[in-house]
Amino acid sequence: MGRTSETTIVADGLSRSFGTHRALVDLSFDAQPGEVLAVLGPNGAGKTTTVRLLNGVLAPDGGSSRVLGIDPAVDGNAVRRRTGVLTENAGLDDRLTAWENLVVTGRIRGMNKTDAGDKANAMLQRFGMVDRADQRVQGFSTGQRKRVALGRALLHDPDILFLDEPTSGLDPEATRDVIDLIGTLAAEHGRTVVLCTHFLGEAGRLAHRMAVLDRGHLLAFGAPADLAGEIWKGLDVALDLGAAADEGLVEMLAGSRGVLAARPTASGAHITVNDRSIIPLVVASLTSREVPVYGAVPMPPTLEDVYFAVVNESAANEKAVSA
Amino acid sequence: MSERIDTNAIRAVMWKDLTAIRRSKAIVLPMLLVPLLLFVFLPAAVGFAARAVTDVNIDGFLGRLPGDVAAPIRQLPEREQLVVLVNGYLLAPLFLIVPLMVSVVLAADAFAGEKERKTIEGLLHLPISDRDLFLAKLLGAFVPAVIVSWAGFVCFAIVTNTIAWPVMHRLFIPTRLWGVMILWVAPAVAALGLGVMVRVSARARTSQEANQLGGAVILPLIFIALGQATGLLLVALPVALSVGAVLWILAIILVRGGITRFSRDRIALRV
Repeated sequence: MGRTSETTIVADGLSRSFGTHRALVDLSFDAQPGEVLAVLGPNGAGKTTTVRLLNGVLAPDGGSSRVLGIDPAVDGNAVRRRTGVLTENAGLDDRLTAWENLVVTGRIRGMNKTDAGDKANAMLQRFGMVDRADQRVQGFSTGQRKRVALGRALLHDPDILFLDEPTSGLDPEATRDVIDLIGTLAAEHGRTVVLCTHFLGEAGRLAHRMAVLDRGHLLAFGAPADLAGEIWKGLDVALDLGAAADEGLVEMLAGSRGVLAARPTASGAHITVNDRSIIPLVVASLTSREVPVYGAVPMPPTLEDVYFAVVNESAANEKAVSA
Repeated sequence: MSERIDTNAIRAVMWKDLTAIRRSKAIVLPMLLVPLLLFVFLPAAVGFAARAVTDVNIDGFLGRLPGDVAAPIRQLPEREQLVVLVNGYLLAPLFLIVPLMVSVVLAADAFAGEKERKTIEGLLHLPISDRDLFLAKLLGAFVPAVIVSWAGFVCFAIVTNTIAWPVMHRLFIPTRLWGVMILWVAPAVAALGLGVMVRVSARARTSQEANQLGGAVILPLIFIALGQATGLLLVALPVALSVGAVLWILAIILVRGGITRFSRDRIALRV
């Protein structure tokens, strides 16, 4: 199925307060087709409020947004017809069977009984729940509930998938399964996936870009590598030399062209270079000096590194302002 | 611009609610026990009593009733008087408890129950308009309330006529007043209860909270309804029809107000 090639989500200064509490303040970002956008932040950061605003469940009290070209505050139903949502609590009715939970969603989405039943079967098959299709959800584990809920969110093949804490409450095995599933969802037909989470590991594996929220404020938005480039200069490289580099070798490394810094480690040295292209030059220089090189591994900052750098920088700025 | 009513979505939400209710013993049991007591055990006991006793004197009681009510009963043979008085007149007001109770119990669960079970957010993220969602929840409580009431009345009529047959030798239920009560007043009472309770349920966080909040409104309503019903059955058909009409108007005003005020934004605030 072909999807739009245009920007799927544009948030422009979105704000929302609950009484005196400002849940979201001036949020602006965008998402592209086929992209996994990670919305990161601790509990209370405004992630769920963001999803609710973008899906027309809440109305903003400032700013605006376009989702698939539609303003969710004006025509929420039109947006919701093309989006799927996995809420933090899978939100299945315990008194219905897995199959019934999916069918009723299909019927509300305008499918006839046959289509809804067929789609429900297909989704349960896809997420490995077909054996439990006729059992009431009451006895399901959290992982099984998430699988059924994921099937429900994808029942109508949505253009945008909002996943709100998709792995919360899951054991490590179920977490890995769900992450693997999510990884395939964005690749399918250019679907946009908005992944709200405070688990940085899963976001790091999946996200193309990240938006960092804290107490309703957007602290950073962009690709992790770009954000890292703004925070840190150079690229860290771990050199495995079989033993710790001595002082002379560290000095030689630090003085090499394109190397910004060097320090010894237990198995060799850790250097920071201007660019990836410097790595083979450093390795060549070492081997010409008959220093054995067992490995040279670039260590770009992870999404987790970027997240904590952004959050710490924000906290430091806040502290400086209040001082 | 008013969006077209999405009957498909409304039916789907109603089906979900009715299926869930059917499977919930905590909801089904009281919904069955109260009608069973009022419409089967009580009239059966009166019927058997009338058959067993040979010398029953209800003159004192009839003397306290308005003349135009007591007169037709006095004209009946003595053994028929007890059955007609109790099953034909005195039980009728109690009948209104059933639609009111069922609608209130189900309406309390409509939104507050969804919040309690953490299923409401999934529903809010589906493409059903606020108005249609409100209507679906309303009808999901109204339809069972009316069905239980009508089914209860059919049982009542069968039990009463069967057990009282050796005394009465004829079918005496339903009367015209009972007909008005069942088809006109009872659904109005259910709708009135719903008009209040669905709004209360939308504000409350749990079914228990909804029941507690609603109790302050619903209990006085029960007494008012019973008072009116007593008058209805003991006075005349036009009065019964009029009181039913007033109840319907109140219910429609409440429901329309509820639709206007209801929004998923408000519901989401309390999730």
